[in-house]
Amino acid sequence: MPEIKVTPLGAGQDVGRSCILVSIGGKNIMLDCGMHMGYNDDRRFPDFSYITQNGRLTEFLDCVIISHFHLDHCGALPFMSEMVGYDGPIYMTHPTKAICPILLEDFRKITVDKKGETNFFTSQMIKDCMKKVVPLNLHQTVQVDDELEIKAYYAGHVLGAAMVHIKVGLESVVYTGDYNMTPDRHLGAAWIDKCRPDVLISESTYATTIRDSKRCRERDFLKKVHESIERGGKVLIPVFALGRAQELCILLETFWERMNLKAPIYFSTGLTEKANHYYKLFITWTNQKIRKTFVQRNMFEFKHIKPFDRSYADNPGPMVVFATPGMLHAGQSLQIFKKWAGHEKNMVIMPGYCVQGTIGHKILNGQRKLEMEGRATLDVKLQVEYMSFSAHADAKGIMQLIRMAEPRNMLLVHGEAVKMEFLKGKIEQEFSVDCHMPANGETVTVTTNPSVPVDISLNLLKREMALGGTLPDPKKPRTMHGTLIMKENSLKLVSSEQALKELGLNEHQLRFTCRVPLQDPHSDPDTLHGIYLHLKSVLKGYTIQHLPDGTVMVESIVIKVSSSAEDPNTKVLLLSWSYQDEDLGSFLSTLLKKGLPSGLC
Amino acid sequence: MEETDFQDVLDDWFIESLNAYKDLHVYQLEHPTQVLEWTSGKTVCVGGHGASKNEILELLLPLKLFADENKGLCAERDFKVVHGGFTEGPVRCLRHVPGSRCVVTNDGLSSDLQVWSVGGDDSDVIRLTGRVEGRKRRTTKSVSGGGSRIAARLSSQVLHGAQSGDVQLTQLTSGQILYTLETTSDDPLSSLQFVSDAVFLAGASNGNVYVADTRTSAAPQLHPAPASPGESALWWTDASPRAAVLRLSSSGQAVVSDLRSPGGAVSRARLDVQSGRGDPEVGVSWAPALDGCIAVSGFGGAVQIYDTSLWATEPRDAEPLFEHRGHAVSSRSGVFVAAHVWHPERPRTLLSAASDGSVHVWDWVDQSAAGC
Repeated sequence: MPEIKVTPLGAGQDVGRSCILVSIGGKNIMLDCGMHMGYNDDRRFPDFSYITQNGRLTEFLDCVIISHFHLDHCGALPFMSEMVGYDGPIYMTHPTKAICPILLEDFRKITVDKKGETNFFTSQMIKDCMKKVVPLNLHQTVQVDDELEIKAYYAGHVLGAAMVHIKVGLESVVYTGDYNMTPDRHLGAAWIDKCRPDVLISESTYATTIRDSKRCRERDFLKKVHESIERGGKVLIPVFALGRAQELCILLETFWERMNLKAPIYFSTGLTEKANHYYKLFITWTNQKIRKTFVQRNMFEFKHIKPFDRSYADNPGPMVVFATPGMLHAGQSLQIFKKWAGHEKNMVIMPGYCVQGTIGHKILNGQRKLEMEGRATLDVKLQVEYMSFSAHADAKGIMQLIRMAEPRNMLLVHGEAVKMEFLKGKIEQEFSVDCHMPANGETVTVTTNPSVPVDISLNLLKREMALGGTLPDPKKPRTMHGTLIMKENSLKLVSSEQALKELGLNEHQLRFTCRVPLQDPHSDPDTLHGIYLHLKSVLKGYTIQHLPDGTVMVESIVIKVSSSAEDPNTKVLLLSWSYQDEDLGSFLSTLLKKGLPSGLC
Repeated sequence: MEETDFQDVLDDWFIESLNAYKDLHVYQLEHPTQVLEWTSGKTVCVGGHGASKNEILELLLPLKLFADENKGLCAERDFKVVHGGFTEGPVRCLRHVPGSRCVVTNDGLSSDLQVWSVGGDDSDVIRLTGRVEGRKRRTTKSVSGGGSRIAARLSSQVLHGAQSGDVQLTQLTSGQILYTLETTSDDPLSSLQFVSDAVFLAGASNGNVYVADTRTSAAPQLHPAPASPGESALWWTDASPRAAVLRLSSSGQAVVSDLRSPGGAVSRARLDVQSGRGDPEVGVSWAPALDGCIAVSGFGGAVQIYDTSLWATEPRDAEPLFEHRGHAVSSRSGVFVAAHVWHPERPRTLLSAASDGSVHVWDWVDQSAAGC
């Protein structure tokens, strides 16, 4: 039976890194290649030994597909391609291709420079890795080779995130990566057509949650900013240029306008240039509202938000500043942080995850004393707020996606099976599909049932209809006779005669002839009649005829009687049958060899 | 309402909420619930009430709500579905059995109860483990459905009944009936609750309240329905831990009386409840940790908080201390609040569920001078 195999790589039940292997139609595909951000040693990389114990991965993989630029989905890519070794194609969307190397380089710098790690990929490796990337457009089918084709769908979540449809022959798999089913201020919602894949693979980290609304998260953000401003404090918001910065700026601008607030809001210029550049490039990846905004004005042209100058950080009074980089690990945001950290009235709002080793990560873990360069310590007295704006599909979202795609099997990765029995039951009940939940390192084998489309010739169809009387009924399978011709990728069912004609062959008939001696005193015709009566009594239910031309026919088998001139009692029975009646023919010859029973005629 | 207008109104409300609430969380369930029942200080059960298959879910409240000291460092704002199960019929009443991991439900179609085990075998599934037969009706008189009210107490004992004449106390583990309420009346009930270990209150929808003790077979004490002008109204009842009984009618008449003195009324008020619905499913409840405060929901899309200590013996129009309009504001068409509960310990935290499937968790700020 044809089957699809799926294995999430990794050890134990830990969540935090995505790297899934799929075997379909003889092809091997790696989906995402993420880094586990919680480990400092080799456990942060996926366990590639599943693919091969040693050596390069190129001959074992047909392609690698990366869903989006978050490090837990692409962080181990340069390690895999340059340090383990893979030279085949790496597919990702255009925005992902543009943004990935920036994040990877930042991540590399933090890990190597700040933490002094040695077993890590280099800047050159990142560049070499990206040379292997083949960019994808949405809804465009790409032929990886003769048999494997892939197509990207919009996933929401972050700029450039895609869900991918993989097809080999008549079997297909859809991998969702991270996706989101509700649109937000700058991204749309995930969408896929009713592609009915054999397997739909989805992350299940948030599958058992019900998400708090976007507006409530925003409310919390505004409340915190407002409270700080009211007491004269300064608010620092470290952002990644392509993250939530845009969204949060729009939010604050609207709020300031409505509340008639006067405190200044700034964004660092590095932020705006990069962001503008990328959003312009990938305008089709944002939602309708942003696109309209872009058409009307520059994305970062606000009434209340102005470009920042480093000297402003020392100005007295309340203010809000958006600055890069997002994890407080270097640059302007860190400089401002150092100036403002010592005052309780101030606040820093971290809108996303921070990698280990960064100041951001330390303060989010409650550290109140930081060691800076030159052994200086920094007392963290300001208020630290961690807010999560990332958009993930929850339990309801997964059900919506399944309803959209109509898969035949469901596969959830990165969840604890014991804690998801309810969701499994819900999916199985509502959609009547099997729901699998492999642990990391465990392989799930899904048997597929591809239907093989075959063209049938009109003549053959007519002949079958003549036999049965009505058109073929899908509920009543019927055995039929024909010849299957496989030419290139098409399958055709034709009558035998037509097949022979196409092949330029002549049809041959096989006939068997058998001579059976018989001792019988009667005349030839009487002997024949005796045979006729004998067969009639033995072979009930068969068509037996005594024809006027001196033959007996059993179905299509011909029996003749002749005798030699010298000895009229020695008869010779001539039996002749075609190959189709082989069984009956053999039976008759054996029967007649035993002679005729006496008392006949 | 035009989309932009709708969004503006919603934005306005969210801006107001900055000062009006300390915490605010807004969720959308797949299916609306009519029940909200605490199963612990941090978990709550909900259940669907569609015609056929429904889900019962046990939800863990967001960690951020409880992270008092390091609130800023906690970004967790979501509900976690910790347990889930399927039921064949609607869930009209759901009660947690204290001291156990069991809940009991009634489908509103008969007086029988379903008993569930919430994650008993270390899995996340809520399983049906038994049934309790309700007493069969002695008369064919019926007002609505057949649904039983349920109250539960320690040692797996469940008090239940659809009418005053049906009320019985069943031991879940053995199925044994330990007590039945001896009364000749057959008033359909709108509430049933224990006010102490042995004493319980059965509130009828005609306004009568029966108080009885499960240790005796004596007839219950009757607190007759308050006189109400006009046609017969429906009444809902709740008793506070301090032996105050609140009764609210479908026309907005509120009466507070003392559990120990039947027939008397301590204070009255007229509540501003514009009912847009013919047959509201009203919820009234005393605040467990805020003296004298009550919450009212079900008449429309809001939950109102009143301070009964401001009420007098002569009924006057009462102004709510606070009104949670979140459900009404977030919905494009008429929505009503189907259920609400106070948090057992946090004085101003409530949960409310509306007919559009929304569930809100809110911690309101008392902005009045003389507050609860």
